[in-house]
Amino acid sequence: MIKLPQINFGKLSLLLAVFVWLALLFVDLVRLFGILNEMESGISIEFTWILEILFFLMVYIFFSDNISRNAKNEFLNLIWRAASTGLFAVAVSLLIFLFYGSLGESRLSQEPFLRNLFYHINFALTSIFLISSAILWKHLILYQKNKRVVKQWQAYELAMLVAMFFIFFNQNTLDYSFLFGLAILIGLGLVLSGNLKWIPYLTFKEKWKSLLFLFIILSTCGFLFVQTQGYTNRIIYPVNLTDNLFLISLFGFIFIYALFGFLVTLFNLPTSSVFEQKLAEAISFQRLSQSIKAEENEEQVLDILMDSCMSASYADGAWLEMDRIDQQADFLLERLIDSVTREGLNALIINAKDIARRSHEKFSTKSNLYEIRINHPKFKSALVVPLFINKSLIGRMVFIKEVKDGFNKEMINIISTFVSQACISVENHRLLNQAILNERYQEELKIAQRVQKALLPTKLDHNASFDISAYSNAADEVGGDYYDTFKLDEDRYVLIIGDVSGKGTSAAFHMAQMKGIFQSLIQLNLSPSDFLIKANSALSKCLERNHFITVSLFLINTDKKIFCHARAGHVPTLHFDSLASKSKYLGLDGLGLGILRNKLYENHVDEKTFTYQSGDTLVLFTDGIIEAKNHQGQQFGFERLRALLEVYHEYNTKEIQAKLIDSLHHFVGGDGKIDDDYSIMVVKFN
Amino acid sequence: MLNIEGLEENGYHILILVGEVDASNSVILDESIQKLIAGGSLAILIDCNELAYISSAGLGVFMSYLEDFQEKNIDFRIFGLSEKVFEVFKILGLHQIMAIFPDKETALSS
Repeated sequence: MIKLPQINFGKLSLLLAVFVWLALLFVDLVRLFGILNEMESGISIEFTWILEILFFLMVYIFFSDNISRNAKNEFLNLIWRAASTGLFAVAVSLLIFLFYGSLGESRLSQEPFLRNLFYHINFALTSIFLISSAILWKHLILYQKNKRVVKQWQAYELAMLVAMFFIFFNQNTLDYSFLFGLAILIGLGLVLSGNLKWIPYLTFKEKWKSLLFLFIILSTCGFLFVQTQGYTNRIIYPVNLTDNLFLISLFGFIFIYALFGFLVTLFNLPTSSVFEQKLAEAISFQRLSQSIKAEENEEQVLDILMDSCMSASYADGAWLEMDRIDQQADFLLERLIDSVTREGLNALIINAKDIARRSHEKFSTKSNLYEIRINHPKFKSALVVPLFINKSLIGRMVFIKEVKDGFNKEMINIISTFVSQACISVENHRLLNQAILNERYQEELKIAQRVQKALLPTKLDHNASFDISAYSNAADEVGGDYYDTFKLDEDRYVLIIGDVSGKGTSAAFHMAQMKGIFQSLIQLNLSPSDFLIKANSALSKCLERNHFITVSLFLINTDKKIFCHARAGHVPTLHFDSLASKSKYLGLDGLGLGILRNKLYENHVDEKTFTYQSGDTLVLFTDGIIEAKNHQGQQFGFERLRALLEVYHEYNTKEIQAKLIDSLHHFVGGDGKIDDDYSIMVVKFN
Repeated sequence: MLNIEGLEENGYHILILVGEVDASNSVILDESIQKLIAGGSLAILIDCNELAYISSAGLGVFMSYLEDFQEKNIDFRIFGLSEKVFEVFKILGLHQIMAIFPDKETALSS
């Protein structure tokens, strides 16, 4: 398979154009030769016309391809290309003119073949100028494409194509059909020339440059047009190539578009700054709308806000002050102003504020900003912009100008928009941070609750001889209260209740350590006091410096109907004696665990054995119950609890527990808070 | 709320506690005792006449220094406890290992 090379239309059409032009020249020279020598050249005029049309087409294709390929398609570049082409054509033309001028009346100046050659050169350059400029104009017109404009341009190109062939019908005579065709084409050109939407996008400097280039185009266009009218000598120029509907209407189009462009650019000069200002505002708005990234903070948004508002209002000075409750220093931004002037102005503003309020003149209902006149030697008007975040006033911006009434409605509106946008950005940033914190907190809460569940027993060991129920409530997500049971054998059970100093997560950790120590040591069948000694030794290594654990331990023997009790610093256990029908606290010495972290602890451990009867009840609890305060600041206390047990002793363990806790909550009050962990364990002997 | 006033009398350093000691301010008590030890004090007295309440965090502060007092032979005494606060010390068993006195005179005379 032979691979066909990429046909480079540009190069191909360029070659063809040159070739066609040479053919045109040759044909015309032959014809001229024939006329001069009174011979029939035998070449019909249609042949020339066909060559001319071909030439136009090749030039068109070449420039079409060349211009759209060119990456630098900025407006100014396009106009400069047209201008430079025109300049080139005019320069060559002038050179030829000078050449003839220098020749004077010599024989060479009369040489018809040379003149014909130069005529063709001028024709080629003029066509190139017109066609390339038309294509450049196409890019400018179609800058903002919509269906209507595209259709109009296509119609114009079609009309132009027809105009090229018009020569066959009209034979180049200036009759009504010619004028008619010209009128249509000029008309279409006029309609297209209204598309000048590229002009406002030029900067002020670029507008001046385009004025210059357009002027060059206008003058070169005019010059070349006048020049074409000069070739009337039928002898030297047997075929008039330039009196062509196509070329004439192109002259008109190029000229009209350049003229419109020139005038519009000229009259846009004074107002060009407004458009540039609007562009800058749109960019500022976009910067303010961008969400604040993780590394950035609110201050940067406020910085951008200040700058944007200052440039939007052409303010001569500005400042932003923001109250910060959580931080020491108030946030302050100053621009073109020092603190002395600022404080002075602040005082004036507060005075003038009331006057402005009454007059209601320049109030923006959107965000409560207002303009006031101030009596300062340098500054005459101020715009005060309060800043609201989450509907609360957090600070304000003040802009000042040296002229009176310096802030017009447009400025106030745009500043209002900027402020709303910036406040939204900041609000979103804060909400997002809050949401992240909340989510993290929720996660930690879930983990804590899972941990808490795992540390307290779900089932309490007991046999038929006694009933037991227990309840624990943590002040935070996790607590430092602990209770547990252990079955040594069919008749012997161990009960433990403990309280870690403090509350919260660190207390829960120590509670977990206590649980581990209990579950391991209790298997060794130790007496309560031995257990405490060993537990104290183990805890001495695990507990943090300022922490201790209090514990109450019971070893119940249901066969012998006794229980052995040891107390390590814990609140004393309540015992209801069913025989005496009285409840009292079991008195026993004993130091808390982790206070004496050496062998000396052994001197402070005690245990006692008690007998029990059927109906006897034990209530183990932690100090959260005793120390719970009511609204008057009174503590629940030991006595209240003791008395309540005497009242409720007839109920089963679950009911006693419920009643005691209800009484506790009743004491504390409906909306009262118990600020410590509290636990209760009720044992009733059957 | 906790206020600690420190004064020196006849070679004794006295810390007067006013208010309540709980988890949020126990560190102040901790720092005060730490300062006295670092200063080389050999006799520290705690005046608890104006102490309304002490939490386990506050008790933890006292017990954490017991070893230091023993090692450095510092004489540490507490006096002026109210009935309720003294009860807390008793339940915990601290009355057996700490020198607790009813008032300043008895604290200084022993």
